[in-house]
This record gives sequence, structure tokens and C-alpha cells, in this order.
Amino acid sequence: MTRDPRRHDGVTRPAPLTIVCDGAPLSAYPGETVAAALLAASMRRLRDDRSDRPRGMFCNMGTCSECFVWLREGSAAQWHRRRACLTPVSADLELSTREDTCNAD
Amino acid sequence: MRTDPFDVAIVGAGPAGQAAARATVAAGLTTALIDEQPRPGGQILRQPPVGFGVAGWMSGRAYRPLRQLLAATEDDTALHWLGGTSVAGIWADRAGGFRLHLAGARSGSLHARRVLIATGCYDMPVALPGWTLPGVISAGAAQTLLKSQQILAGQRLVLFGSHPLQLVLAQQFVAAGGDVAAVLFPQTRAQMLRAAWPHLAGALRTPGPLLAAAGALAALRRAGVPVIHGAAVTRLTADDSGAALGGVDYVAGGVEHHLACDVAAQCFGFVPQSDLPRQAGARVAWSAPAGGWATLCDARMQSSVPGLYVAGETTGVAGAEIAMIEGAIAGLAMADAAEDDLRRFRARHRRLAPFAALLRAVADPQPWWPAAGGDTLLCRCEDVSAATVDAAIADLAPFGPDASAIKQRCRIGMGLCQGRSCEHALVRRLAAAQGLAPGDVAPFRTRFPVRPLPIDALIEDAP
Repeated sequence: MTRDPRRHDGVTRPAPLTIVCDGAPLSAYPGETVAAALLAASMRRLRDDRSDRPRGMFCNMGTCSECFVWLREGSAAQWHRRRACLTPVSADLELSTREDTCNAD
Repeated sequence: MRTDPFDVAIVGAGPAGQAAARATVAAGLTTALIDEQPRPGGQILRQPPVGFGVAGWMSGRAYRPLRQLLAATEDDTALHWLGGTSVAGIWADRAGGFRLHLAGARSGSLHARRVLIATGCYDMPVALPGWTLPGVISAGAAQTLLKSQQILAGQRLVLFGSHPLQLVLAQQFVAAGGDVAAVLFPQTRAQMLRAAWPHLAGALRTPGPLLAAAGALAALRRAGVPVIHGAAVTRLTADDSGAALGGVDYVAGGVEHHLACDVAAQCFGFVPQSDLPRQAGARVAWSAPAGGWATLCDARMQSSVPGLYVAGETTGVAGAEIAMIEGAIAGLAMADAAEDDLRRFRARHRRLAPFAALLRAVADPQPWWPAAGGDTLLCRCEDVSAATVDAAIADLAPFGPDASAIKQRCRIGMGLCQGRSCEHALVRRLAAAQGLAPGDVAPFRTRFPVRPLPIDALIEDAP
């Protein structure tokens, strides 16, 4: 059985919001980073390397650059490439882990 | 900014940066404290997001002085806190001070008469077969996910490496309700004890960390978590999908073993963050034993660049308590304090030094590196394999020990992380191939911007 990766014992969070990653909606809490929200949704693959092998977050402190994803706020906005471990989630946030679905800045 | 130029800019809001800020603010100096994280604390006290409530957060005795320092920082209304902000470069300005290029929540230039770089360290990334699979992370990643985001990095964790800090992380993971399959040390218990022995008497004068380690061991025993010594991890293997980690292969007592897990965290020691001091022109030296570059400084924490100070793990990895002391010394020095005012900090530094030496000796990863295969990627950003790097090292042997030459030949270190993940491994490989010490290798030339920033964060106010 899969356990919820989020701790709940003794932990209170603000009301959740919904973000979209690769077209799929997922729940996240304000204050969470994009990397944490994806991990909590068991989405470990954040990009593919040059040989199309999956890659995920490594350092969670802005140092390794493994966790770059594409993101935009609202479907009309421009895509940006950002470190998922340093970027907080927000309402209307849309993520992509696939370069071919977005025009990166 | 009305206060620009500041008297002091401090980069990094961990124990060293905060302690320095206490001293400079107390001396009446206008002080900017800058960090990439939204809240101060550093990685050791990486805070939960604003809006989260966490009962008993980091309540352990060992964290008490750090929590007191953090509370003082957060209550300080005179301090100019710039969170969520990266420093991409530091240059001398015409006024005899410095210009910092900021990006993130605050962007553009900030000027300061004196600058302290206290950017800490990061987990040493160690290349071995399978290490690029999603689910293979640094121990610090698992720990900060837990401390700050209140998230368990996976369903079943394996910790492996030579650094005893992994015992503390395993204990924290179990206490948070997580499942730790095993903690694997390549050293035997006897080897650890032999390494510790020469330092033990001195280290027992500050017994806190040793008691914390003993407490962690006892808690893991009660929880039924195996702590296995003499266990060398050889390979990380994929799950059935092939798209994520499924387990860890290790050898113990000449026998191959396999542990199923969905997350494996490496814990081989720490590399000082050295890109900003190097970009600013400060002299560095190889950081023994784990590797990376420590910034050189005098007894008042001033680097080889006048007016540019360093403190904490930037000067060599020695732990949070020593970082606090060095930060306090740097803060007082930037406020031109008399040597008498530094005396009690120097005494405390001397008392803590034996434990730091013990930990360095016990955790020394050098005899225990897992072997990278020829097709193992050393450079995760540009996908450069160990075999490709070794061929470049052989081809360029006549040109001497220059890491940048290897970079230009095969692209190792040319990617988004700017060599933070691979430079230490390249330096050791290059040194070994040429029969030199790692410190004899010329490191990558570090250039602005030292963080991967979008171009629009740079052009507004580029140098």
C-alpha cells in the first residue's frame, strides 16, 4: 500500500490549490515547492536527458540543476525554465516536464 | 534602495551568516542578509513554508543554539532581509566596496562596503552505476524535504555512504513515520573506531554530537532499522518500469546483496560552495578530505580579496557550531572590533576543533568511493561519461593538470550546474592520472553568473 508522502501528524497546512503538470491536475499546498508537490504526487521524473533517460530531483537546494522544469502561470503566459526545488507553487501554475510541449525562454 | 550602499552584505543566512549579522547590526552597520531560500535558517534549519504549522519543529537539544540564533534573526527589525534571492556575481566597485548582482525576489545591483560569503556546503554527489535514476538523491535532499516541506522522500529509504550524519537522518525519517530499509556504511565498525581514536579525548570535551550519534543509533535499533557496516554499494537499479529507482546492490563480506527501495540517499560528505568566492577572485585550496575548494582566509576571516570575508563551511566543512563562531568573528571583524572582543570566540573554536577533526577522519570517503563504470555519467548536465572524461584526460596529458582544458575538450562541467556536481570528481581523476595531489589541479574558471538564471534576469543590469 502506498503511504501519503506528506506528514500530517502535528502538521497543519493552508487550504490546497490545484496545479497542472503535463495536463494532469494535482493538489498542492501554498508554500510547497514545485519539486515537493510533484514528489508528493509520486511524479519523480522531471525531465529526460540527451539519451531520453528519465531524471529527477537530486539536491533539493538549488545547487545541482537536475530539477529544471518548464512552467507558466496561466495558459496564455510564456513558458519559463526554472529550478523546481526553489520555485513555490501558485494558483494557475502549469508545469511541463517535456520540452516539445512548450517553447522555453 | 535608500540604504544602498550597505555597510555590509552577507550572502547566506545559515548559522554563519546569521551570527555575522548579529554582530554587524549590533555595531550599527546597515546590513543586508541575502539567501536563495524564502526564510533564513540555512540548510541545517531549513524552515517550513510560511503558513505551515509544525509541532515540535527541530526541537532536539543539539539544535537549540541554532534555533535561538534564528529567532533573534527573525526578530531583528534593523536587518535588511532579502530572501528568495540569488547572488549571481560579486565585483569590486569604484568606491572601494563591492557590487552584487541579484536575481529572484530582488533583482539588479546591490552595493556594499564589505561582503561576507557564508554560502555553506552541499552534499558531495558521488557517481556510480545507476545514480541518475529518479529516486537517487542526496542525503541533504531527503533531510530538507522532511525539515521544511514535511514530505517523506519515498516509501522506503536506503541510506548509503561513509558519513555518520546519515544515522541522524535515518532517525529523523523514522520519527516522521518513514520506512528505512537500511543504513549502509562501507567502513567496518573497527575501521571507524580506529579513525576516531586519535581525536576521541579532545572530542569528548564537547560530547554533544557524539551523544546525538549514540542516541540515533539506539533509536534505529529500537525501530529495527539495520545499520550495516562493511557494506559497499556497487549499483543502483531500476524498478520494473525502468523509469525510476527500484533497489540498491551492495557487497558485504564478499557476498552480493540487494535491497528493494524507491529512494536511495547518498551521504559521503560535503563540498563547500565555492563559486562566488572564486568568481570574485578569492584564493582557494583543496578541501580535505572529501574534496571541493575551501576559500582561504586570515584569522579575521578576510579572504585574499580585501574587504571580502568568508565564514562557515565556505572555509572548509566543520559543522554548524563552528560556522556560527566563524560568522561571529567575521561580523565583528567587519565592524572593526578589537582583537580582545574576538578572544572568547577563538577559545570556543579551539574547543570544538577536535570533534570536527574526529568527524573528518571517521567520515573520510576517500578509501570508499564506489566505482563509476565506463558508461556512468560523471557530468549529469551534459551527459558526459567516465570513459569520455578519461579519454580526454589521456589526450590532454601533455598540457598539465588543468580542469578547464578537459572541460573544453569533452564538455564536463559545461552544463547548468556549472561543475558543482562533477568538478570534484574530475579534479581527483585528473590528479590520479598525472600522479599529483588534487590541490595541484587548476580548477574550472568560475564566471558570472554563478547560478543558472534566465537571460532577462541578467540583461537589465549586466556588467
